[in-house]
Amino acid sequence: MKASLDLGIVFPVLVAGRLLLALTNLPDALKHDHQLSSPLTSYLNLQEGIYLFKNGIDPYSGGVFRHSPLFLALFTTVLPTSRTISSIIWTLCDAVGAWALVQIWRARQRVAQSSRDGLIAAAYLLNPYLFLSTLSLSTSPFENMLALLSFMFAAQGSASPSLLAAALLLHLSLSSILLLAPLVLLLASSPVSQLASPRSFSGNSQKIKPLLAEFLAYTAILTVASTLVSGGWAWVPQTWGASLTLPDLTPNCGLWWYFFTEMFDHFRPFFLMVFSIHLLIYTAPICIKFQYDPLYAAFILLGILGTFKSYPTMADPGLFLSMIAVFPEIYPYLRYPIVTTLLHLHAALLMPLFHHLWLNQGTANANFFYASTLVFACANGAALTDCIWAGLRIAIGEPQEGFVVVQE
Amino acid sequence: MDRIRALLGPAGDQNLNRVRRRQVFVSNLTRRIHFIKFTLFFVGYLWMLALPSPQLPSRGIYIDENALGPGQVNTYWNWGDVANADRYLEQLEGLRDSNATSEQRAKVLMAEFVKLGIPASTQHYMFTSSTGKLEGTNAYAVLSSPRTSGTEAMVISASWISRTGEGDGTLNLRGVSTVLALANFLKRYSLWAKDIVFVISDNYVDGMQAWLNAYHGETQSNLQADELELTSGVIWTALNIDYPGHSFSHLGIFHEGINGRLPNQDLLNSFHHISKWTGGVPVLLYDHLDSPQSDIPSWIPSNFHQEIREYRYRAKNVLRHIGYQARGRGSGVHGLFHQFRIDAFTMFGLPATGPHGFHAIGRVVESTLRTTNNLLERLHASFFFYILTTPERFLKIGSFLPSAVLISIAMMFGGLKIWSDAAWIPDTSVPLEKEGDAPGNKWIQRSRPVIPALSIMLYTHILGTVLFYALTISWFNNNQIVASTLLFLMVTTLLLCALFVPDQDGKTSAPVSQLLKALNLCFASTVISITTVVNFSLAMSLAILLGIPLSISSPSQSRPLRRAKFASYILLGLGWIFASEELQKALWDWEILRVWFAPFVCIVYTPLVLQAGLVCLLPS
Repeated sequence: MKASLDLGIVFPVLVAGRLLLALTNLPDALKHDHQLSSPLTSYLNLQEGIYLFKNGIDPYSGGVFRHSPLFLALFTTVLPTSRTISSIIWTLCDAVGAWALVQIWRARQRVAQSSRDGLIAAAYLLNPYLFLSTLSLSTSPFENMLALLSFMFAAQGSASPSLLAAALLLHLSLSSILLLAPLVLLLASSPVSQLASPRSFSGNSQKIKPLLAEFLAYTAILTVASTLVSGGWAWVPQTWGASLTLPDLTPNCGLWWYFFTEMFDHFRPFFLMVFSIHLLIYTAPICIKFQYDPLYAAFILLGILGTFKSYPTMADPGLFLSMIAVFPEIYPYLRYPIVTTLLHLHAALLMPLFHHLWLNQGTANANFFYASTLVFACANGAALTDCIWAGLRIAIGEPQEGFVVVQE
Repeated sequence: MDRIRALLGPAGDQNLNRVRRRQVFVSNLTRRIHFIKFTLFFVGYLWMLALPSPQLPSRGIYIDENALGPGQVNTYWNWGDVANADRYLEQLEGLRDSNATSEQRAKVLMAEFVKLGIPASTQHYMFTSSTGKLEGTNAYAVLSSPRTSGTEAMVISASWISRTGEGDGTLNLRGVSTVLALANFLKRYSLWAKDIVFVISDNYVDGMQAWLNAYHGETQSNLQADELELTSGVIWTALNIDYPGHSFSHLGIFHEGINGRLPNQDLLNSFHHISKWTGGVPVLLYDHLDSPQSDIPSWIPSNFHQEIREYRYRAKNVLRHIGYQARGRGSGVHGLFHQFRIDAFTMFGLPATGPHGFHAIGRVVESTLRTTNNLLERLHASFFFYILTTPERFLKIGSFLPSAVLISIAMMFGGLKIWSDAAWIPDTSVPLEKEGDAPGNKWIQRSRPVIPALSIMLYTHILGTVLFYALTISWFNNNQIVASTLLFLMVTTLLLCALFVPDQDGKTSAPVSQLLKALNLCFASTVISITTVVNFSLAMSLAILLGIPLSISSPSQSRPLRRAKFASYILLGLGWIFASEELQKALWDWEILRVWFAPFVCIVYTPLVLQAGLVCLLPS
């Protein structure tokens, strides 16, 4: 069984299968789906922006287009935007993401190739959350690919490409700034699993400052490039600003939209601040606790982003779930994997159902769908806390009879 | 400090206390899990039985939307209009007696609308299905609202064939003449705020399906239909008139739509109110008259008789409702409207020798239209989940939903218990201290490889999909008896291929049968609890059919017993294939009306039962 999961066979087969599916008319049915693409990643909005841009109208002057100017530059010069070609590009993004995930695994294990490679590629390419997001042509696969590429380069020790990918990612999604801290730590130390032997940060802390400077330089260059492309600063409040000020309350699978639909206007700024800071507060504790294994810290932060960020799509928690495949050492210490799986099963069935009942059939209301996104949040939270527990528990060793491990 | 701590909590190490507390809780729970499971099953099934009980908290119907204001207007429908209806009826009877084709019929109906000065047209349609072709012609007319721009509309419809005997061929001539007379009548008033669309659909349900698809621009691959020449705005409500007899004694409400949809209850309640107070016609649920008192056994004390009668009457209503809803079958032509977010129901004039006729039904429809005409927004979202037990009383979602959910929780507990049990095996290597002692208190852990079990589950669901496609080819329909037997044998044989999964070593890893059973129960439980909100009757039927059978599946040592168990699961899961009439109806519903009951049974229900069958056959 294990031997047959050779990367050389599994990878091309899966990518070919995905391409075939992408070329059916599934994307047309899925591209309006609120759970698979948010206003910040929607393909329809992207096309609208490109159309406006090509016709000499500033796409950021309206309230619809919220993609980065880098997408405008990419799709008006290099890549065409016909549906078929888009489907192929999007699927290839996932293929690159899967390949990067395999490389991360190899770097972590310090092997050139292993029997698990095929399984890891499959975990990424067959994950329905990622799969469907790609089919819906939401731009989340680009974000996932860039996140994985930056970690791959970091794990392989090449600082510049890694930081460049991170800077690009920052331009696509502001909340990914959270990943900078573990990324820099990873560049300054090693990706090898240290979960079983915690110690203080062993990397070279001298490297951190120049790395940060390099990242800032890339970001600054890309910012200037974006401004030049779009001909002004209007893109900043429309893209980065949107994830902080939440101007578009289209329902999605996250926790923000309903809360802010119900909110009185004079509380809005305060709660926007609370929700944004809430995301930030996790970075330091996670990075300090897992300072001996920054890749694991990054993995946990990805889970936090997928659960709590402002405009999530299914692809964000999907990336976290697929990344579990890279950390097989924690499996024996997970406390309730079946409960997490069942929660995800319920959420994955309930969300489209309640969405349909509310918006198509009209027999339910927004509360139903919100309740199902809460189930989804619980499922993500369960996966997250279980992974944090297992990541810490592994250091104590095999369970012994008559002894119990508790958390203080 | 210590004293304060002692006051706050028990002495000793906090963590130790917590661990002990947790251990006590878990061991209590696991020791009583069978009891809890049994209680949940018991309460759940008892609750289902109690649904028709007058003791169960139900409430009287009421109008939630104040804007409706039912029955608060004077009605102007008078004997002159009744005479009109009689003239139309004579004409229709002439058509019937001359064996007019549907084309001719539709032309005549259209001409009548045009004579009234209402724009009218016809629509020809043809369905192709595995049972053959289905053709017809609809006639319809659009009365533009004198007050608004025609962005909203109400529909008054009648199908050519009545719903009597689920469309057995009885003609709905009086229903059609009522619609024509109403067109004549309604045109004279300028108070309509919405367009009124009159539809005379051909046949029983297929005509309306074609008309609604064309109206909403939906395409259906097996339907060829003319485009509509006349259209109007968004349809909000639809009243379907079914009046097959000479006169009627009661008006019956039929409200179930296809795929388990129900209309907003406010519409039904308004109609009930109007029929009772404006029309003076008593309202029934379906065509159920109260059951007679005489046939209750005499040994039952007479003070229970009233209670039993009441229970029986309600049970009849609830069962009828479940019969329609669980199979996703609409109880009439109105059922097709719901898929387009249109609240609709059928008012059925229960054939009798009297006392009501065109006069009463005209007034009721007029007043109901005035009520729906008042609507400024769609009816409220919270009023779609209900079970009518009598025309005057209904069960709210909270008083019926938990029954199926409890069963599903019981199944989930069962599945999780088996899952956690599968990880442990008693260590037999420890020497027993004395003869007859249970083998050891020592337990060793083993792995739980889920891949084989998941593959079997996936395989059965794929098998179900194949089965479904096999059923929809026309060859199957033409040779049903042979084909049923063949398919039954084919599925059973293919199912047995699943037994070739590699055998696990029972010492180091859990047996496939145990894991399969755990996952099967968890998945079935998920399916049931999720179906409750879409189609409660279906979820309830699943809870009854799957609840106990899936929980008691187990491998056994003796070969004949094992085979008998497997055979009974196969019968439970696949036996329906021999119910040819029911099967044909379900397939027809799927092909013409897109009712997903047939694919659901093939792809979800049958595989779940077959998995339980495999649990019995696999080595333990």
